[in-house]
Amino acid sequence: MGGNMPRVGVFVCHCGVNIGGVIDVPEVVNYAKTLPDVVYADRNLYTCASDGIDSIKEAIKKHNLDRVVVASCTPRTHEPLFRATCEEAGLNKYLFEMASIRELCSWVHAGDPERATEKAKDIVRMAVAKARLLEPQEELEIDVEPSSLIIGGGVAGITAATCLANQGFRVYLIEKELELGGMLRKLHKIFPTQQDASELLKEAIGNLKAHKNITTLTSTVVKDVEGYIGNYRVTVQRKDGKNGELKVGTIIVATGAENFEPMEMYGYRKYENVITQLELEQLFRSGELGRPDRIVMIQCVGAREKEGMAYCSRICCMTAIKNALNIKELYQDTDVYILYRDLQTYGKEYGEYQWKAKEKNIKFIKYVPERPPEVIPQTNGKLTVKIYNVSINEEIKIKDCDLTVLSTPLIQHQAGKELSPILKVPLGSDLFFFEAHYKLRPIDFATDGIYVCGTAHGSKTISESITQACAAASRAAIPMAKKHVRSEAITAQVNEEACIGCGLCEYVCPYGAAELVRKPEGKWVSKINEIMCKGCGDCAVICPAVAIEMRHFKEEQILAQIGTSFLFPAEGEFEPKILVFACNWCSYAGADLAGVSRIQYPPNVRLIRVMCSGRVDPLFVFKAFRSGIDGVLITGCHPGECHYVSGNLWAEARYEVVKSWMEKIGMKPERLRLAWISASEGAKFASVIKDMVADMKKLGPSSLTRSLTEGGIR
Amino acid sequence: MIIVKLKPFEEILSMLEGHQRILIVGCDGCSGIYEVGGLRQAEILKEQLELARELKKSEKISVKTVTVPRQCDNDIVAKKLRREVAEQEAILSLGCGVGVQTIAEVYEDKPVFPGLNTMFIGMENKSQGKLFERCQACDDCILAETGGICLIARCAKGLLNGPCGGQVNGKCEVGGYTRDCAWVLIWKRLKQRGRLDLFTKFRHFRVNRQHPPRELELPISVTKSQGGKS
Repeated sequence: MGGNMPRVGVFVCHCGVNIGGVIDVPEVVNYAKTLPDVVYADRNLYTCASDGIDSIKEAIKKHNLDRVVVASCTPRTHEPLFRATCEEAGLNKYLFEMASIRELCSWVHAGDPERATEKAKDIVRMAVAKARLLEPQEELEIDVEPSSLIIGGGVAGITAATCLANQGFRVYLIEKELELGGMLRKLHKIFPTQQDASELLKEAIGNLKAHKNITTLTSTVVKDVEGYIGNYRVTVQRKDGKNGELKVGTIIVATGAENFEPMEMYGYRKYENVITQLELEQLFRSGELGRPDRIVMIQCVGAREKEGMAYCSRICCMTAIKNALNIKELYQDTDVYILYRDLQTYGKEYGEYQWKAKEKNIKFIKYVPERPPEVIPQTNGKLTVKIYNVSINEEIKIKDCDLTVLSTPLIQHQAGKELSPILKVPLGSDLFFFEAHYKLRPIDFATDGIYVCGTAHGSKTISESITQACAAASRAAIPMAKKHVRSEAITAQVNEEACIGCGLCEYVCPYGAAELVRKPEGKWVSKINEIMCKGCGDCAVICPAVAIEMRHFKEEQILAQIGTSFLFPAEGEFEPKILVFACNWCSYAGADLAGVSRIQYPPNVRLIRVMCSGRVDPLFVFKAFRSGIDGVLITGCHPGECHYVSGNLWAEARYEVVKSWMEKIGMKPERLRLAWISASEGAKFASVIKDMVADMKKLGPSSLTRSLTEGGIR
Repeated sequence: MIIVKLKPFEEILSMLEGHQRILIVGCDGCSGIYEVGGLRQAEILKEQLELARELKKSEKISVKTVTVPRQCDNDIVAKKLRREVAEQEAILSLGCGVGVQTIAEVYEDKPVFPGLNTMFIGMENKSQGKLFERCQACDDCILAETGGICLIARCAKGLLNGPCGGQVNGKCEVGGYTRDCAWVLIWKRLKQRGRLDLFTKFRHFRVNRQHPPRELELPISVTKSQGGKS
């Protein structure tokens, strides 16, 4: 690297006509050449094509570039390629910055080439402003212990353990009960094969026990987990109180679920002949069922509620059909009714299963949740079930029922709730374990090296649990097979001099990466475990001493972007200047989707990408207003979907406070807005922008004079 | 910890009327620790003040920010703030009442304004998102006898021998049965520890407490007089 001043190279991509068809690329290149520290600027037809890549590498060498800006498409797809290009030319990959002038500009302002070109210049200027302040970063490489801990010895845990052991990894399987098997131990037969549950379990346990790579610990629970991917230290406790420690590289959560007990519903635990499906299965197993003449099953008991357990438990319809068929098999003449809301017998083989039940004369009656069935005791000990039959619009009575069986959902159990804070992995609003991303990372937790499978993750059939267990084993095997992982360098960095040892960072960190430690001289300071840190920035924003910086998203870098986001003083008709902060995972992806879908919106916005909406410091908002911006929009993942567990909730709490401050200052609080925009909500992103631009037009220009110009850029 | 809260912004703004060059002094002690008076809050307040003055089109204001490890130490305040104070014409303290007075005492010629209201000595409970009063600095601690629950700070009537007849289901009549009766808490705690004998112990009216302003010699000067032992 040469000299003290950065040497920035800018490469503007035509992307065929995608960019070049709207934006005046040569003009953007000429403009880039005038920016401070830019020593080289050029354009490519396709920067990502091999000649484009070569031109970057050549220019780095020829012009001694130490910062590279590519103005083209979204960093979400092409940043890895350009970063690799920089590395190949000997430049640290963190000295690369991308300016998205396709998704965020040419595709969404296709009808206004003039303003699109103006905006593209602004986007490039913002990228250059940040690039000048970029710093090289080193990524840490961590060794991975080739062993795995599997928590929960049900069918999912057993399967995951066997899969991993078959690949040659050391496996510890722990189960809180005395015996393996979990829910499967309580079941009679399994649908749709009507195979004995005990047979399946016996085979699975047989495979497991035969394996020399697997250590099974029953009557054992996890007490404490320390460390990070590759190096977890797990304290386990046996029922007799003895503790042990395991060193593992990965952890799979397969803790299962329990059956909801519908206390006080339909006379459950009030009348002895009102039972759950699970209790019915136990009667089958023990042979204590007797010979009932009439059985009524009620579906969706405690499930699909407006509040609380809002979810469909997925397996109950099949369970009811299975048990109804079992009864018919034992006693052909027994009347069996299934009262349902919507019959969910989806997928392979299950539709047929339903037909089979109908052939056996099992009666299906639909009810509506507004008028649920009623269970009324008779003097002879039998039950009458009253039901409003939707199909005939009439209330009917099913008299002399020997048994009413309630189909209840699977729910998270106490042990699962207790495990969540120990592992520092989240539960969703349904209280089941919550994956990193519903579609893209359905098996992983946001914390590296911890995975989930089976009903711990939500209600599932046995075959689905087994499939997911195999998937979790495969995911866990990746870092263990590679033997090491690299961690991204976008992490928090503590200025120990400034740190006051308050511990707020430790409190807000969803990953347990920040910790107060005592220095040899006695002072308590925050210490960040860089492997565990995911770079959300929650700690940096809450730090009362402003002692934490986020690598690659430093305050000075973001302020530089804010200060350079709009250059041209408004002429003629007022066009509001709106600055958007978008989180990398949801809202930025949403903005990209608006681009890919070519949803047009006004070109009044400039966008700053942050890792999490929780990174948006109130100071950024004030600085934005002081740099002449008319409106600030903070966007993040929907509540419950934050990539960093709870960063968006911090953003929301802070947003409310900043709005109240603005009001007191005499600013219009409407100038600040918050919107939850997911990766699939491109249309929403565009409409939020449209609304905000329209509203800001009504409000008129901010009366604040521009007082912030960052980095001398004019 | 000394529990403080930020004064209403309007009040701060009107206090500072007529002043142009302000130094906001944060405190890295109690008020800094829970986001009321640290450097970040000082910087946010600076933005707010400058924006408000501009929007109200009143006199321009120029604000600088700084923090000290503790505003309640006159030595620190004298040494660490001298240069910044010299440059500005008024000071806004984000320390507790002690901090404000310390700065005012050290820099007699500069007007010093309190940015905070000082509330009590209390405990922070992050999971509840609240701060609770726990101590009234009575100079005669009897927590050993009350299961670690202070009746001076937590009994609304400060009863040394309680409870009175004003509790229902463990809630105190003062405040409309919303707050815990300290004496019920004490009873539960002592029962848990098998020390209900302490509950019935009679406590006399206490006379130890001096009238304010109280004074105390520093421990270090005591050890000095004993020949330098610490």
